[in-house]
Order: sequence, then structure tokens, then C-alpha cells
Amino acid sequence: MNLTVDYPWVLFALVLSFLPLFNNGVSHSRYPSIDIIPADTFSIFFSALIKVIAMAAITCLVLALAGLNRGKQSQERIGYGAHIVLLLDRSKSMDYTYAGKAPDGSEESKASAAKRLLIDFINKRQHDRIGVAGYSTSPLFFMPLTENKQAALAAVSATDLPALAYTNISKGLTMGLSFFQQQSSQTGSRIILMVSDGAAVVDPESEATIRRWAKQLNIRLYWIFMRSENSPGLYEKPEDPRDDNAGAMPERYLHLFFTSLGIPYKAYQAENPDAVQQAINDINKLENMPLHYVEKIPKQDLSTQCYLLATFFISLLLAFKLAEARP
Amino acid sequence: MNLQNLKDYRFYCLSIALLAMLALFIKPQIIKSQPVYNFTFIVDITRSMNARDYQLKEKSVTRLQFVKQALNELVLKLPCQSKVGLGIFTERNSTLLFEPIEVCSSYTEIDSVIDSIDWRMAWAADSRISKGIASTITQLQGSGSHIVFLTDGQEAPPVNPRYKTDFSDVKGKVKGLLVGVGGLQNVPIPKYNHQGQQKGFYKQDDVPHRSTFGMAPTSSVPVEGYNARNAPFGSAKVSGDQHLTRLYEPYLEQLSKEIDWSYHRLESSELLNTALQAAVFAKKQSVLTDFRPYFAVFTLMLLGLVYFPRLNK
Repeated sequence: MNLTVDYPWVLFALVLSFLPLFNNGVSHSRYPSIDIIPADTFSIFFSALIKVIAMAAITCLVLALAGLNRGKQSQERIGYGAHIVLLLDRSKSMDYTYAGKAPDGSEESKASAAKRLLIDFINKRQHDRIGVAGYSTSPLFFMPLTENKQAALAAVSATDLPALAYTNISKGLTMGLSFFQQQSSQTGSRIILMVSDGAAVVDPESEATIRRWAKQLNIRLYWIFMRSENSPGLYEKPEDPRDDNAGAMPERYLHLFFTSLGIPYKAYQAENPDAVQQAINDINKLENMPLHYVEKIPKQDLSTQCYLLATFFISLLLAFKLAEARP
Repeated sequence: MNLQNLKDYRFYCLSIALLAMLALFIKPQIIKSQPVYNFTFIVDITRSMNARDYQLKEKSVTRLQFVKQALNELVLKLPCQSKVGLGIFTERNSTLLFEPIEVCSSYTEIDSVIDSIDWRMAWAADSRISKGIASTITQLQGSGSHIVFLTDGQEAPPVNPRYKTDFSDVKGKVKGLLVGVGGLQNVPIPKYNHQGQQKGFYKQDDVPHRSTFGMAPTSSVPVEGYNARNAPFGSAKVSGDQHLTRLYEPYLEQLSKEIDWSYHRLESSELLNTALQAAVFAKKQSVLTDFRPYFAVFTLMLLGLVYFPRLNK
């Protein structure tokens, strides 16, 4: 139990509760001499009782006005969830459909398909902390890791507006990893869920950073590769061995790079929105590891209880008033 | 029960107090109408925003740092239930970082995204402000959010007067505020290398000082060295002050007229706050407010009357 008030200055009004000590509110009647009245324990008891009840009534009202509440509490629980950074491709090609055309109404663009499915995913993940980052030519910070689902949804919803420029995957990944760098302690699994429709060459400088951080930070990586028609897949080997290089086949080489990181990694090659849905469902199932998380219990308002008590006391006082004896 | 007691004023006070308490439970809330706001802030992150011509706590800071500080303070000042979205501008268009969310429940998140805005988020290098404003309005029309566009107004490279942005399609579609950032004196623009370390400032030879894009402006007087194919803009070397930066206030004022917005120069978050919490942007929303304290205070006064110490014994 940890009681707090919203407006501490109101508590000064508690001074009012001393008033009944000086006056029990009973009407006086003139009497020739009070000395001849014998001391009556019963009367003294009632006089004191009235004072106590009146003080209690005033105290209850003041506490209610001050906004008495059981303060914010947090409780550590074990649940199922994870820390997830959604890393979204914001390159121009995401604005096209899987067939590589501008969306004409019959088929949605890859970006809006991804947005729709990810919103669904966020709504399903009750206990996760979710962060959102994106990349195009440069990395973009959308939303830090947060329990606030509305905030994460607002960031994901903003991603199907016209896309930007090129695909600079290494900068994006570094940005995604940096979300976990700021975390001091690790509870639950740390996941980067990358959604992209293409890849790019990872420059050597970023490569070293990504290798180091991914290991250090205990990352689990998922890559949903939204493969467009006629684009090379993750597992394809070129016919001409001279084409077997990162410049010609960035998707294949990025996949090889991820595999070589030595961290849990899984790639999904999705050729249509249903396949993306399946991949997301799969991740949803996989990432239900027990997780320590702190549940915040919002403050509980106690003013109603105070008002009820005050009402009860006031009705008692009124009853006493009516029962007063008169000469 | 003694009927004599009905004549006691304290009886009336206590009865009214009890009635007030009953009324408190019958009508605990009333509907009040309160102005709320919905803004999408678009922050210019082009290079000229790195120029240092603002002061914060007696230290010179970049325009971008000052804008971030002002926005952080501003979000705190907006009434609850207001919504704030954030986007960045560079090149010819802007991108949203997140759609408008309620300020009071998401203050920490908004705060940390504002902090993370960086000139290195720019996906391309041009600074086509008028085009950017037009495309932002097109993107956000129908979202119900008012646009607050923060920029220093320096178009880079300079605009060819032949190809001015046509605002007729977007004029009046979305209400907004154009916020001018920077000082009126020219200051140098810091130059950064690949690793993000500052390497001096932009020099006169680093930037174009006039537009050489498209067709040359027509004029009856042929420009020096004019050649229709090889030198349509003439051959004279043009040098100007485009490597320096200042707040292009007249230009922004003129732009804001063209799109029916108002213009405000950023000096402090307080002034920006007054400019934003204006009737034009306010939307009256009825919110339920707790009415119980009024009853409770009334009851307290009555109880005070009943138990007030007797002065004449």
C-alpha cells in the first residue's frame, strides 16, 4: 500500500478537522448552574464520539479533494514476450506491388501490405516492447523501444506514405542494433525483425560493427524478404560464376552474411502478402519465450471511497443532531 | 427525536451537506469543452540547419538543436488530448516519423524521437523548400492534422524563377504555420566529412550560386556570353553568398501568403506556443471533468459553519 495525493497543498485544509475539538456542534441551553449537573460518562462519551465523527468527515472530504490514490505501482511478472525492433525498408521500390508495378487498386503495394500485417502483429504482442526504425539512403529513427502500443502503431502507420530513395541496409541495421545498445540490462529476447524488398552491399566498416554488436547484444535476427517478380532470390546461385559476387547478387550475399554472424537468424522469402503473414505468424509463435517484465499498475483513485465515508459520517451527524435532547 | 432540533441552523447545514453529498454521487462529472490541437511538425534537416546562430543557456547552438529544444518544451505545454506527429524534410519532400499521437500518454516517446532527429537522416542533399511544402500538404491533406513547417528558407541550389512551385492545387487544403528558423545575419554552414566530423565550413566555390537548371530566364537583354546550346545562362562567373546562410524571412513570408498560412519567426518556445495555441488551430472537444470537488468544497464550508468555535461563551 503506497498512498499518495495529487495535490499535496490541499492537505493544509486538514487544519479544518480540528474545528470540532472546540465545538461539538450541539446546541447550548441556558442553565442556572452547570455545577449541579452530575458528571455523566455516557454524555461525555457521546460528546467525544460526535467530535471524532465530525473530524473524520472533514478529513475524508479534504483527502478526497487532495486526490488520494494508491500510487503507481509496478510488479515484476513473468510472461511471454520480447524486445522487438522493427526495421523497415523505406526505399522507392516498396511503393510498388510484388509485380513491380505501381499499385492500381487491385493489388496493394509492398509497403502497405507490410504496414497492414505489422499493425496486426503489434496488436497481437501484448507484453512486448516494440521499437521502430527505418532506412533508405540513411537510417531513420521512428520510435524508441516502448510498451506504448499506440506510439509503435503510429510509427508503423506512417511508413506507407511515399517512400524515399535507395536501400542502405548496413546503416539501417546499425541503427536497429543501437536501440539495444542503450539498454542496460537484458531481460527477454532481443529481436530485430527486418522487412525489406531488396538488399545492398554491406560496406566493410559497417560489417565489422554489425558483427561485433550482433554478438555482444545477443540479437536474434529475422529477415522477411519481400521478393518481387523476376528479382533474384536468397538461395539462388547465378548461372555464370562471374556473377557470384555481392554487387550482382546482394540478396544472396546479405543472406550469407547474416548466416555467418553466428546469431540465431531466420530468413523468410515472401513472394506475396500471404507468405509475409505466414512468416509473421511463425515469428509470433517462435518468440514466445518466458520474459521477465515489469507490469505497471496505474494509480488507483481512492476519492470515491473517501466521499462515501464522508457521506456516511455526515448522515450519522445528522441523526445525532435530530436526537439531541432539549429542556 | 425532538422537533425543537428542526429549528437549529446546524440541522439545516447538516441536511444540506448530506444533500450535497448525495448530489455528488448523482452527478459526479460534467461535460466541459476544451480546445485541443492536432499538429504535425515537419523539421527541415538540410545542411543549413547546422549553422550556429541561436543561443541556449549562453552557448551557441545550431538551428536544429534549438528547434528540437523548442519542440520538446512545446509538447509539454499542449493540453492533454492534443495530438502531435513528427516528420523531417529534405530534398523535395518530407517523411513522417510517426503519425499524430496523444501528447500526455506518449510524452516520453515523442521526446526521444525529437531528440534523435539528426541532419544525417537526410536521404538526399537538395533543399527545395517550396516543393517540400507542396508535397507535404498533398501527403497530409485529409489527415486532419495542421502542419507546422520549420525551416530557414534557404533553397539550395537557388530556384530558377521560371520554375516556381505552383501552389494553386494545394492552397487552402490544410491549415498550417510556417516557422522561420535562424538569424537575419549571414553565418557560415559547417561542413562534415563521411564520419560526421566537422571539417571547416562551406566555401564560396563549394556551392552553386544561381540556378542553371532547365531553360534560362527569358529577358530581352541577352546575357553576357549567351549561347543557346552551350551557355544558355551566359558565361559570366556568378558568385554570391549561397555558401552562407541566414533566415530568408521575406521569402518565407511570401510563401506563406501563397498557401494561406501564417508566418512566425522562431525565437522561443513560449512565443511559438502562443502562435500555435491560436483559435485557428483549436478544435473544441468536450471532455468529462470531475465535478465532485465543487460539491465537496461546499459541504466542507457547511461543516465548518456547524463546528466553528463559539466566540461568545
